[in-house]
Amino acid sequence: MTEKRRMTALRLHKALYSIWRNDPGWKGVFTTVNNNTIGNMFILGATGMFLAGGILAMLIRAQLASPQSAFMGPEIYNQVFTMHGTIMMFLFAIPFFEALTIFLLPGMLGTRDLAFPRLSAYGFWCYMIGSTIMIIALVAGVAPDGGWFMYPPLSSSAFSPGINADIWLLGISFIEISAISAAVEVVVTVLRYRAVGMSLDKLPIFAWYMLVVAVMILTAFPPMILGSLILELERAFDMPFFQAENGGDSLLWQHLFWLFGHPEVYIIFLPAAGVVSTVLPVMARTTLLGYGWVVAAAISLAVLSFGLWVHHMFATGIPHMGLAFFSAVSTLVAVPTGVQIFIWIGTLWKGRPELHLPMLWILGFFVTFVMGGLTGVMVAMVPFDWQAHDSYFIVAHLHYVLIGGYVFPMIAGIYYWLPVLTGRKRFFRMGETAFWLVMVGFHGTFLLLHWVGLLGMRRRIDTFEAGSGWELINLLASISGFVLAIGFGLVILDIAVNAFVAVRGRRNPWNAGTLEWGTPIPGPAYNFASIPVVNSRYPLHDHPDLPVQIARGEGFLGEPVRNRRETLAVSVSRGEPEFIAVFPQNSIVPFVMAVVTSIMFMAPTFKWWWLSGISAVGVTALALVWAWSGGSREDEGLLDAGRGVSLPTHNEIPHPPGWWGSLFLLLADSVLFGSLLFGYAFLWTVAPNWPPPRILEPGVLGPVLAVGGAGLASGGIRLADRAIRSDGSAWAGVLVSLAGLVTLMAAAATVFRGTTHNAHAYDATLWVIAGYIIFHATLAGIMTLFLLFRIRAGYLSSRRFGDARVVRLWIDYAVLVAALGLGAAWLPGILAEVPR
Amino acid sequence: MMDILRISVPITVWIAAFSAVYGLEGIVCSDLWTAAGLSLGQGRAALIASWAAAISLQVAMLVILRLPRCGSPLPWVQRLATILGFAALVATVWSLMPVATTSLCL
Repeated sequence: MTEKRRMTALRLHKALYSIWRNDPGWKGVFTTVNNNTIGNMFILGATGMFLAGGILAMLIRAQLASPQSAFMGPEIYNQVFTMHGTIMMFLFAIPFFEALTIFLLPGMLGTRDLAFPRLSAYGFWCYMIGSTIMIIALVAGVAPDGGWFMYPPLSSSAFSPGINADIWLLGISFIEISAISAAVEVVVTVLRYRAVGMSLDKLPIFAWYMLVVAVMILTAFPPMILGSLILELERAFDMPFFQAENGGDSLLWQHLFWLFGHPEVYIIFLPAAGVVSTVLPVMARTTLLGYGWVVAAAISLAVLSFGLWVHHMFATGIPHMGLAFFSAVSTLVAVPTGVQIFIWIGTLWKGRPELHLPMLWILGFFVTFVMGGLTGVMVAMVPFDWQAHDSYFIVAHLHYVLIGGYVFPMIAGIYYWLPVLTGRKRFFRMGETAFWLVMVGFHGTFLLLHWVGLLGMRRRIDTFEAGSGWELINLLASISGFVLAIGFGLVILDIAVNAFVAVRGRRNPWNAGTLEWGTPIPGPAYNFASIPVVNSRYPLHDHPDLPVQIARGEGFLGEPVRNRRETLAVSVSRGEPEFIAVFPQNSIVPFVMAVVTSIMFMAPTFKWWWLSGISAVGVTALALVWAWSGGSREDEGLLDAGRGVSLPTHNEIPHPPGWWGSLFLLLADSVLFGSLLFGYAFLWTVAPNWPPPRILEPGVLGPVLAVGGAGLASGGIRLADRAIRSDGSAWAGVLVSLAGLVTLMAAAATVFRGTTHNAHAYDATLWVIAGYIIFHATLAGIMTLFLLFRIRAGYLSSRRFGDARVVRLWIDYAVLVAALGLGAAWLPGILAEVPR
Repeated sequence: MMDILRISVPITVWIAAFSAVYGLEGIVCSDLWTAAGLSLGQGRAALIASWAAAISLQVAMLVILRLPRCGSPLPWVQRLATILGFAALVATVWSLMPVATTSLCL
């Protein structure tokens, strides 16, 4: 680089740094919205949870090392194994890959941050606060103790009367805000925030995997969130969703939980597969074989995983045909998994592999995951599953899949991206020793546990009798478990020492081709000095001088003339530039809102409903403050985006990022609503003590209010939208829409008059359906009022009507769920009145 | 966004059809079915008809995806959508085959 060019890059760096930097000192920790900072903090938090879960695992192995152990009593042991599973699944596995994604994705995609930076911060703080609450509960001895899948009736108030189960139900639901937030972020970012020219076929493979995983999170988590909420309603208000004597069915929980729980396995595996598909070709000094086939395998694996949930319920007495459906899909899912494995082997074959440390971990993954996959096929066979169900064979299988299929590739990924994360190159060499300790310890523990499972040892027992034949196996497994723990401890130590002490490294030490290696290391807050233009999947291979061009501002938005945080959004398929997205400044609001949200969720643990209500008002107020700070009061028209291209800002397009975010949030919301309708149909069809003693009669008033409200709400917002676009007065339309929403609420409220919330599962379900409709109508109403104030304050014009489109989307959703929900509530009453 | 739909719709229709047929099996085996005056033989026929309808839908989507008017302008997306369409068809045939081959309501 010549001196002049270096000066250009340095000047640009200084200008961008002053715009994008975090607030100084401790304040910056709480106000940051930057993906690099949040990603780093998230990684540290999730690693802390891995340590906590690991310590609990060691306690379990200490307890089971000898028969009749007096190390822990059953009450403590129940909390320990429940929290081990809960921490590893909810507080480590998912948050860790989310953390890595938040950190890496903007760099890989060639953009300056994720689509909704404040949402990243909010999700992170929800996670940290929620995790801290769970750990405090553990230390205080009131941690959940019903197993990580919390089956009722064990978790119902009759058998779990304390607050332990409430902490799980409310705490995990709260923490899942973080997963949903990250998923919305990732989907919108991958679809819209990319380098110019990065069409769908040029996406980094990791981005494809994360897009698939994010959609899975949006569609898999809602059933479990619904299950948690209705179980909590049962515990708090005696609404009998899971009580057979009143028309409930504990199997409903199992359906809702595993509708989440099985896709969850693939939600955990696919990011790891994304890491393997990214790292392995670099280690093999080649490109990924069969890119399109890998994408097809990832998508089909994701969707097939939603057809597997009942294979966790093979022992519940489901008819043979039902078992056969899920056994068939359980075998089918091996096909896309196998496609990926063979493509990775083919990639190794095609290239010239080098055995660096990340590659060592990937080889460990291959061996372990294939073994876990094969035992997975075994338990997919119903007769075998009946023998192995709830035994240590299953414990061993799931650890082979989760540790082998997730933890090993993630460690490979951390070592691979260590220069990007820390700016340093690995100097200390504890990693190789740690790897072998982990391998020996892991297989020594879990290979043996298959055996003890086949000998009949049940999972979750706190002790066993001497003379059972399990003593030696358990002792060896426990010794190996401690070797495994030492190995993982060394991995963390090795990474920490290299991250903080090792020498500075050069950019792109692996000679990788993807864009995250095209920035200075560690990446600056703005990630890219200018938005690059790419025309292949491996832009750094095609244009080795691309990093220099980016640093000199030769891409898009290379001159920060408007002195604000800007990046470029592109079209979904072709990656053509579409608009300039203006990002928010640092803000304390996400942190404060996470604190208030945590109070809203956790106060019901102590039956402090008033506090939860006040916090709900607080969350609403903070959300309005959050939303108010965006937008513009004047039309800016087309702005110079660099390279001779002029584009509007996101304020002046019909479907701004907020609309896209809402769209995918509503996808999750609609799955929750669909799960509710599924539960209603399930209870009606399968549960004992149905039909209910009294069926709701719709009458005339309710349907009339529903039809009128739907028409007014939907029509009013369209009138307002049209008025805004023609610079007319939108007040009439907005007010009509508000009136419609209030009418819809009244229609839903008629359900309460004809039912009693705790009389029967039917009544309880109708109350939840009506509550869901009222909640969404209220939400849409608040948004409509917000729109009214925004119009008054001059935030909307014939060019700036995106806010109205967002509100319209939420109103349309409220109308749709009101129609479906009230239709479902009233249908049995209507049918009962039809003469036979 | 149309390309995302081309890629995702066939396999999403598979999971919808799979869930619907599983739900139908639940209804056939419930008291509601016999209360409506229907026999298990009619239940089997309904399940097989649903399976056939799901397969026909998948075949129709594959055909539609191949039409010049409906296919993606991006060849890579078109190929991916076709692969996933075939995957959805195979999944429909295989995963719902028990409606014709296993016992009902046992």
